[in-house]
Amino acid sequence: MNAEFLLGMALLAIGVVAVAFPRDRRYLTRLISLEIPAFGLLLIMLSYDETIALLTFIAVTAIATFVLTRVLERRGEA
Amino acid sequence: MTGPLYIAGLAVAFAGILVAFYAIMRESDDFHRILLTDLAEILALVLIALVATDLAEALILPGLVVGISELMAVSEVYLVKEGLFRPQYPPLSIEVMDTAPAILTLALVAYGIVLSGFTGGAVAGVGAVFYMMCRGHDERFAVIEAASGYAWALWIAAFFIFMVAPQYWLFAVMTAGGALLLKVAGKMSLVGTMRGGSNE
Repeated sequence: MNAEFLLGMALLAIGVVAVAFPRDRRYLTRLISLEIPAFGLLLIMLSYDETIALLTFIAVTAIATFVLTRVLERRGEA
Repeated sequence: MTGPLYIAGLAVAFAGILVAFYAIMRESDDFHRILLTDLAEILALVLIALVATDLAEALILPGLVVGISELMAVSEVYLVKEGLFRPQYPPLSIEVMDTAPAILTLALVAYGIVLSGFTGGAVAGVGAVFYMMCRGHDERFAVIEAASGYAWALWIAAFFIFMVAPQYWLFAVMTAGGALLLKVAGKMSLVGTMRGGSNE
């Protein structure tokens, strides 16, 4: 359990910095970087055996990415 | 639950929340703010996940549902506010998106029916979303709404069977599971029509 938890926490910290202060401020970069803290959260849930929450989070993340991509393809890259 | 690890996790989560809200404060572009709101949601979920009991799961599930509906509403408001009604680019032509949907959707829907209930509905719904995104759609929303309404009525009927005639619990479980499958799959397939089509 400890390895997953520590890895998840490390990914979470790295991901927060990557999303909050990206090197090039483009929408797509930020959208892709959002997967890093999400993966950290998944590992934390895995370490605590929160199965249903984990599966639902995966499904909801897929829909959220779809919704954000839809805005992106209308907004255009900036 | 109350070990040094839990304290360290709480510290990391709170530091992340501070950084995320600082970034939201510094940001002036609205769509960047929406993306950062997603980050804040993930961090809030970490805070709940650290509780590490069944309570955490019970709190995370409604949090996820509220989060996704909020994201949809905010993105819709953003699109209307900026006056963006049509995609700026022609749709991508990816070969896999022409050949894969039929078989993948069939597999996902079949597996969803085997699972039944909320999880099955989500799996079957993902299949429907994928198909509609790839192939386009020309369904009538009224039919989906009607099916959803009947499913809801069946679900309630199953609960009455549980209360009035508990010896038929297996029938009630199957009815509730099937109805929930239909309802969740129908609602999720509506998401697949969000790209716009003949109905928009």
